[in-house]
Amino acid sequence: MQYFNAPAFVGYLGNWFLIKGVGVTIALTMAGVVGGLVVGMFVALLRMADNRPLQWIAGGYIWLFRGTPLLIQLIVIYTGLPQVGIKLGAIETALVGLILHEAAYMAEIIRSGFMSVPAGQREAGMALSLSGRTAFWRVVLPQAFRLMIPPLGNSINGLLKATSLASVISVEEIMRRSEMLMQEQFQTLEVYAAAAVYYLILTTLWDLVQRPLEKHFGRFIPTKGR
Amino acid sequence: MSRYIDTSSVPPDLCAVQMKAVYKKYGDFTALREVDLTVGKGETVVICGPSGSGKSTLIRCINHIEKHDDGLIYVNGVELTKGNVERVRRDTGMVFQSFNLFPHMTILQNCMLAPTTTLKMPRKEAETMVMAMLEKVHVEDQAHKFPGQLSGGQQQRVAIARALSMNPKIMLFDEPTSALDPEMVKEVLETMKRLAQEGMTMLCVTHEMGFAREVSDRVIFMNEGRIVEADKPEAFFQHPKSERARLFLSQIIH
Repeated sequence: MQYFNAPAFVGYLGNWFLIKGVGVTIALTMAGVVGGLVVGMFVALLRMADNRPLQWIAGGYIWLFRGTPLLIQLIVIYTGLPQVGIKLGAIETALVGLILHEAAYMAEIIRSGFMSVPAGQREAGMALSLSGRTAFWRVVLPQAFRLMIPPLGNSINGLLKATSLASVISVEEIMRRSEMLMQEQFQTLEVYAAAAVYYLILTTLWDLVQRPLEKHFGRFIPTKGR
Repeated sequence: MSRYIDTSSVPPDLCAVQMKAVYKKYGDFTALREVDLTVGKGETVVICGPSGSGKSTLIRCINHIEKHDDGLIYVNGVELTKGNVERVRRDTGMVFQSFNLFPHMTILQNCMLAPTTTLKMPRKEAETMVMAMLEKVHVEDQAHKFPGQLSGGQQQRVAIARALSMNPKIMLFDEPTSALDPEMVKEVLETMKRLAQEGMTMLCVTHEMGFAREVSDRVIFMNEGRIVEADKPEAFFQHPKSERARLFLSQIIH
């Protein structure tokens, strides 16, 4: 049986069981992005606060969650925390783990975005008597966001693939379902090649979203000449 | 034809700006030392001096972009305290060396933001007012472009229009022509000159000695955080009193 079973590979590509896993992967990724942005924004604000202890708390959070593997975080939450009375299901664990992990990366991206907006922009806002809220939402954030898109896009691409780690705690996303299919017929190469193709399709689709976003938020940058 | 008057003994409410023994420190560095300055309403004052002498810090303290550490500052009679910052900023407009236009907004949006939010002016009214301001500085045909599409001189004129659209009583200029290509300097100085002639109170940090000579009512010379000289431009340029000012002038006037 030493050959690549092309019809089986194509079959897995159209396998409904696997396609449902794609849905789970997309859902995990979207939850990670939204949750990561919300928590990350909060952590970034703490990190930039005028208060040392708050900065340390945020810094410690980032240090911990960026400094340890997501795989360990998931296993600790899923199988370790019940020991101290915190019991989360597989899906909940995956959501919490992915969001906390992603938030640490996003906090740093968000912070660097804000820090890259020149001080003169805030000064102009002050000189024009803009309220703090107006200066933030209308002046600083749109410029910071433009700078955040490329690194955020990169991070989201990473997150999309990192959701595969949730398979070890039995969340039935692409990877987990591939393992289950593999164990039926032992068509290892065919199954995982199909899984890889799904990830490739998803990351490509994300690229197709990211590029117009970059273009839209950078539309004020003159392309050449005057 | 100078409007120069000695206003140092005038009560604060009759002056545009009055500073009394103002100090500003950055850590160990003292940027302003015991600065006393009185600017009358309608006066145009040029502030010059070597780099690091505190000129920019001085005008940035007036609208509280820098916070002074000691002394008193009055703007149109209002003492600049934490609670009065907004009142003082409403009365002052500022033009920066690097323009500081909002790059993601069109020229029109740049100028309309503060009037429509802070002043809650209806959009239509604000647009009409802003277009008139842009016309005044001759950039009305650029209204729907982004700042990055304009020349430096045009951007700085937009920055002036943006500040004027808040209807300030005092304009602060922080080296408005220092970042410009030489051929753009004149158009900005012309705009400032017209503004001065209309009676706007202006404090200008600038190295444009031609402007100082022609337009200003008074020249302030600063060195090491102190006001060393304050005189009518003719007197300052012909007979600088201090050795430091003589040296400064010999180095910048070729």
